[in-house]
Amino acid sequence: MTDLKTPAVTFDKTRTPGTLFSTLSIPVAIVVLVVIGAIVSPSFLTVSNLTNVINANSTVGLIALGMTFVMVCGGLADLSVPANVAMGALVTLGAQPVVGPGAAALLGILVATAGGVINGLLVGYLRINPIIATLGTGSVLLGLSQLLIGGGIVYAQPSDLANFVKSSILGVPVLIWIFVIVALILQPLLSRTAYGRWNLAVGGNYQAAAASGVPVRFTKASAFALTGLLSGICGTLLALSNGQARPIIGTGYEFVAITAVVIGGTSVFGGNGSIFRTVGGVIITALIGNLIILSGLPTQATGLITGAIVVGAVGIDAYFRRKAGRE
Amino acid sequence: MTKPEQSALALRMTGISKSFPGVKALQNVNLEVREGEVHAIVGENGAGKSTLMKILAGFYQPDEGEIQAAGETVSHWTPREARDRGIGMIYQELNLVPDLSVAENISLGAMPRRGPFVDYRTVTVLAKSVLTELDADIDPGTRLGDLSISQQQLVEIAKVVARKPRIVVFDEPTSSLGDKETRVLFDVIEKMRSRGIAIIYISHRLQEVMEIGDRVTVLRDGRHIETRDVAGVTPDQMVRLMVGRDLSEMFPKLDLELGETVLSVTNISRVGQFEDVTLDVRANEIVGLAGLVGSGRTEVARAIFGLDPIDSGEISLRGKVVRITNPRKGVAAGIALVPEDRKGQGIIPALSVRENFTLAVITRITNALLIFARREKAIVTDLADRLKVNPPQIERPLNAFSGGNQQKVVLGKWLLSEPSLLILDEPTRGVDVGAKADIHEIIGEFAQSGGAVLMISSELPELLAVCDRIFVLHEGNLVAEIPRAAASEESVMRAATGQVSAA
Repeated sequence: MTDLKTPAVTFDKTRTPGTLFSTLSIPVAIVVLVVIGAIVSPSFLTVSNLTNVINANSTVGLIALGMTFVMVCGGLADLSVPANVAMGALVTLGAQPVVGPGAAALLGILVATAGGVINGLLVGYLRINPIIATLGTGSVLLGLSQLLIGGGIVYAQPSDLANFVKSSILGVPVLIWIFVIVALILQPLLSRTAYGRWNLAVGGNYQAAAASGVPVRFTKASAFALTGLLSGICGTLLALSNGQARPIIGTGYEFVAITAVVIGGTSVFGGNGSIFRTVGGVIITALIGNLIILSGLPTQATGLITGAIVVGAVGIDAYFRRKAGRE
Repeated sequence: MTKPEQSALALRMTGISKSFPGVKALQNVNLEVREGEVHAIVGENGAGKSTLMKILAGFYQPDEGEIQAAGETVSHWTPREARDRGIGMIYQELNLVPDLSVAENISLGAMPRRGPFVDYRTVTVLAKSVLTELDADIDPGTRLGDLSISQQQLVEIAKVVARKPRIVVFDEPTSSLGDKETRVLFDVIEKMRSRGIAIIYISHRLQEVMEIGDRVTVLRDGRHIETRDVAGVTPDQMVRLMVGRDLSEMFPKLDLELGETVLSVTNISRVGQFEDVTLDVRANEIVGLAGLVGSGRTEVARAIFGLDPIDSGEISLRGKVVRITNPRKGVAAGIALVPEDRKGQGIIPALSVRENFTLAVITRITNALLIFARREKAIVTDLADRLKVNPPQIERPLNAFSGGNQQKVVLGKWLLSEPSLLILDEPTRGVDVGAKADIHEIIGEFAQSGGAVLMISSELPELLAVCDRIFVLHEGNLVAEIPRAAASEESVMRAATGQVSAA
């Protein structure tokens, strides 16, 4: 059997408008935003402003990194993020007098991770719709945290740990360092390990992945556990750097994280995504927020604009998918 | 049979060309279809059949060319235009809503109304009249999802017929049907033809084309090769026109010395699906599993691989009893299953050829942490070359490939896992002749290298040509074991239809 028209195997990626769009759009968008920023406000393009912007978004950025895994594996989104952030923050500060700041921080992260594990069991093993499951656990955990501290504020004790979190290394704030390090760990985890491949496969076609021997339930569950872990770290860092924590500390973080992931081009339908692109998404969301404040628009406009961008990005994604599916 | 050449032209497509980035999908293709004619279109996957039909349905605009419907030239051909001019499409995949009734499905998209409300009386009346017209014994009030696949397809046809079409396109309509259901479909097509409806019939099954077609148009590489009367052409000639070369033998069969028993299944049952099934497969052997749709063939295969649990019985691999409760254990035990439902369970459409190929073995090409990217690429390149994946671009997402190439990738994924038992469920369904021969060759090579193969197929000639032995299932019971020498379409069919009570 000879096939006359079989040329040598190649690695060329086919350049469709969709792939070109997603590879170039992020750097271009960042450059455009920086240019607009420089025009709108003289204080925008300064080292201190840009550092502050990134610093302020690096904690929620951690959650976006976890949320990338959730979306890639077809888990839609984790809506329990605010609750896990609150749990992490409140336990970190609340347990300080009892076990000391270091152990308290670990405990806070652990509690939030446990929340993530519960989400993972519900979504991955019991196969409950992720939106419903995480909305449920989120409400329960947030309610629990409010019950525990009675709606008040928990204050931090001065500690070396808190000072470290608030400090800078080589002129770069520790919070940014942590974000960068976590991103540098998670990027190869998604793109270069078997575990990352499982996430892509599960999100790309759950049935086929299962039939290929991929541990589908574990994969899905672990993405939620990871998001719980990172929500906990986020809460702990926020509590230590702010010196206080309330149950509402993480309100809206789920949406900011989802926005960043979606702007980064990860599909809400699962099956593709990249940590680097999410980092780009975090930077873009941060710059948009900053621009709104600097240009004198009311901060309330942030939701309006980022919301519109999310809807637009998902729309474009759905459009290209439909087009690809038809060919 | 009517004399189609005397009837009026229902459709004329002239000089149709269509390019996509990097591909000339169609070049100067002509197609004429007469009223009351069954016009078959054949060609390998990628020959341009679906592109031509998508143009006809109005989904794509041709770069060049002209479409005439009932003698009228239409300048801008849109999906709406196509529908208004009486073109109905019946695709391989059904476009029906399982939770609605049969009648609602038939009226879907054109619900008769009374004021703002759906006029359910008319819906039911319409459904009844169309179903009667098609001689389909289906109650319009039934929930669609409760019907068999073949009945659902009749509903799909009824949905199209209800709109009084002038031209109906059938795209691979029999790929999910058994022989009996295919008969029913052909009767329906015959009826439509006798009412003067023009029928375009696309199929890889040349026997069907011979049987039902009046004329046949052959496409190859986006070009119109020939249009002939079916009466004056043999399947062999058709194949030659389609592939532009001789297939020396459609199904090469190697005679191999059989090795030890690899799979031995004893009295396995799964309530409601199959009962007391006992079979075995030896190394170097290709064993067929035949039966009508619904006979339990797929269910037996799934149970062996661990996708569904068995209620009783025993499965042994190389003499050792194994308990396989999920596909991961199946893979670990050295079993591979190429599923019947390629789109649903075989491929990950958005991932590349490379990622699909290595999915089942990805943990074997990593160190403690990372995938060996270079080794992965080398393995995949080699395999893509061996399996003649076309186009040979391993970074391209799998949904950009034809069905035959997707199937090669699914097959390749399992070959990489180096299984001792390869289970194939309809491995060549919806696959063109060229790819089919390639797939048979791959299966043959696997058996030759010591593998055991258990193969399910609805196409008897395929089983007869490829298999050393054939087990036949009827309504969940194993009714016959037929050695190659004694196997004929007749003997297998007799068993499959329950005319033989025991082996």
